[in-house]
Amino acid sequence: MRERIAAWLGNVGKGAKQNADPGLLGALRVFGLLYGRIDRTVPIDQSLRQSWSRRLPANVDWKHAFGGIAYFLFMILVVSGVLLTFYYRPSVDEAYPSIQFIVSEAPFGWLLRDMHVWAASLIVVALAAHMARILFAGAYKSPRVTSWFVGLALFAVVVVFGVTGYLLPWDQWAYWATAEFTSGIEQIPLIGGMVAMFMRGDRIVSSATLSRFFALHVIVLPWLAFGLISLHFVIIRGHGIAGSEQTPDGEGTPFYPNHLMRIIVVSVFLIAVVGTLAALFPRPVGDPATPFNAPDELVSTWVLVDVTVALLHFLGSAGIVVALLLVIAVALVPLFDRKPQTDLRSRPVVAILGVVLFAGFILAWVVGHQVGATVDAGTIPQELLDERAVPPMPAPTFDVEAGGGASGEEATEEVVE
Amino acid sequence: MTSAFTRVALVVGVLVAITQPAQGQETQPVPVTRADETSYGCLVCHAEKRRAFVEGVHSEWGIRCHDCHGGNPVALEVEPAHAGEYVGAPDKLQTVAVCSKCHSDPDQMRQYGLPADQFTELRTSRHGQLLEVGNQDAPTCSDCHDPHTTLPSTDARSATFPTNIPETCGRCHTDAAMMEPYGLAIDQLEEFRRSTHGRAIYEDGNFAAPSCIGCHGSHAALPPGVGEIANVCGRCHIDVRQSMASGPHGGSAETGNVLLGCTACHTNHGTETVDSELIAETCTRCHAEGDRATMIGEQIEEMAVQAEHHMESAREAIRELGEAGRQTSDAGFLYRSALTEFRQIASVQHGLNMEQLTDLELKVSSITKSIEASAEVAAEERWEHRLLLIPLWFFALSVAVLAHFRLRRA
Repeated sequence: MRERIAAWLGNVGKGAKQNADPGLLGALRVFGLLYGRIDRTVPIDQSLRQSWSRRLPANVDWKHAFGGIAYFLFMILVVSGVLLTFYYRPSVDEAYPSIQFIVSEAPFGWLLRDMHVWAASLIVVALAAHMARILFAGAYKSPRVTSWFVGLALFAVVVVFGVTGYLLPWDQWAYWATAEFTSGIEQIPLIGGMVAMFMRGDRIVSSATLSRFFALHVIVLPWLAFGLISLHFVIIRGHGIAGSEQTPDGEGTPFYPNHLMRIIVVSVFLIAVVGTLAALFPRPVGDPATPFNAPDELVSTWVLVDVTVALLHFLGSAGIVVALLLVIAVALVPLFDRKPQTDLRSRPVVAILGVVLFAGFILAWVVGHQVGATVDAGTIPQELLDERAVPPMPAPTFDVEAGGGASGEEATEEVVE
Repeated sequence: MTSAFTRVALVVGVLVAITQPAQGQETQPVPVTRADETSYGCLVCHAEKRRAFVEGVHSEWGIRCHDCHGGNPVALEVEPAHAGEYVGAPDKLQTVAVCSKCHSDPDQMRQYGLPADQFTELRTSRHGQLLEVGNQDAPTCSDCHDPHTTLPSTDARSATFPTNIPETCGRCHTDAAMMEPYGLAIDQLEEFRRSTHGRAIYEDGNFAAPSCIGCHGSHAALPPGVGEIANVCGRCHIDVRQSMASGPHGGSAETGNVLLGCTACHTNHGTETVDSELIAETCTRCHAEGDRATMIGEQIEEMAVQAEHHMESAREAIRELGEAGRQTSDAGFLYRSALTEFRQIASVQHGLNMEQLTDLELKVSSITKSIEASAEVAAEERWEHRLLLIPLWFFALSVAVLAHFRLRRA
């Protein structure tokens, strides 16, 4: 027994000596102490060294960071989300009080909740920026078409995450934003009613809706997202970053330390930024949800709500249709733009589509947050008011011509007398 | 073929209809049980009246044309039908007589839970007095109650439904030509729509608020006398009346001497509330500026404005608490107790009881202060969240600096 302990300690010492290269990597390698024995059968250390020593094309710089930023925001969302489920209770009676508890009683609950809220907004912005870079750089071209579509699927998953998560606080804004959204879905011809019914599980937004949105938000969507992210990363590693074809082996900048240091800096700054936004601009808790009273105003707290509000405010429902068509057009770009040229001048249609979509997105976001940050939800449509109005009174049908008697003036005189 | 058959059937039908009453039942009227009875003689010509009539409540209780218009409903030709005690279209006075035949009979009205004093009341009213001297402008029963589609005042289609009453009165009282000989204003309806009472009826659907008939009466419609105003308003505003009576204005308000009752400060149809900021100004309508009375007015104004301000701060504090995710039930309970005191200020100020007013204002301010204090505590805690930013950014910047040195070495 004593020998075995001595041998193990010897191994530890040897491993420590071998791994004692200075710097941050060496500090991290201290974990080698723990997996020294495992390492003999599973070459973790070796594969880690191999992957860290790979080189990236020289053209990879800060504008390639958006995908990574989105991924790190996703990690923040996962961690804060899991911690929030420790306290959150997905039922009509308990959802709102549990949010109150999280924000005012639970230690650092406010931080978790507001970081979750802010990361949810920022991930949409990061994904849009990532998508814009891919589009303008032509990085979606063959053989990376699959990666583009997987990325789009991820974007859609993030949107559904937002829609399902927005309801969970179960306050008036959450309730009525979801009610507006699902009744918007109902307007879609043919399938609208069925889809809305499937989403709500009821004729109105109710406990059934809360249950299924919660299940989607914390069970279905995370698995879907993990699957798609893995696929996205595997494809990227398979094809390499766009432009790496021109970089011969052995050239470019090594992943460690150049890129890893940048990743660490970006990640730490992201935590700081999200934490700052959470501390300075917490999401207010609305009044508890009630299906009987629409609130006077809907305060939007998610970037896509801002965009939708701006579209509805200035263009009406046609704005939504135009935006959807634009998104579909941009999504299908790799199917039509098959030439290998990545120069923007050689593909003007893509350039125009991209500029309109992303500039429009930013414009709608900013304008929606300023002008239409509140929607007048209390306005009842005129048709509905007319429908409920008391019908006009019937005119008197009595015919006074037949009667006799004194005229008005005479009568007055008599009375005065 | 079909048309020939129809024609024959029609002729046979008419023959049967004509001959039937002649066979044996000549003197006794046919008992009419249903308004849609096809053998009811009046309907041969007046089918369109039937359509209006069956909608109304009289049809429901088995009243028929001949009950009001007389004549012989069994006859199927004009002359015999319009014979006997036939009234036809009654004139204004006849209408009153026709309606009061039943509506002044307590024995008949009892079963429907209706009063039987409308006729007596009408005779006391200005409308009734004018009618009696044959005035054609004055309204008779059927001018306010549709004679054929007679509906109870609980029916929203009725001209006497609470929300419809102002328009019913306004049909004549907004007619400048008609009102001119009597020297009456025509802006009452417009003023009422804007008034506190009007908004309560139209916007809140609060039918406890008075429409025209609430103060003037319906059948006995007359403007309240100067000395009666305080009593009329005091029917609903009981606490204000009591407070007013206990104060220096009480006596003259109740008798109408010197002071025009409540209308000295509030107009009659506009019934606007006097804003807290305008209390002292209202006093100067009668009292000279700078004298003792206006100084009391200024003191009351200051207290009322203060109390209003406190209530608003409390509401804001509760909103902030709610937004910060705090429980607001305790603060809400406190707010309601402050509201009770605050509302008393409105009535107590009519008695100019400064001691009581000071007491109320103090209560309002102390309750609302405690609400604000709990909101301040919450706000402070929220502000402390920002302290977290110090270690957060220290960490972020340190990592950035370390990474920078590591990269420079590479």
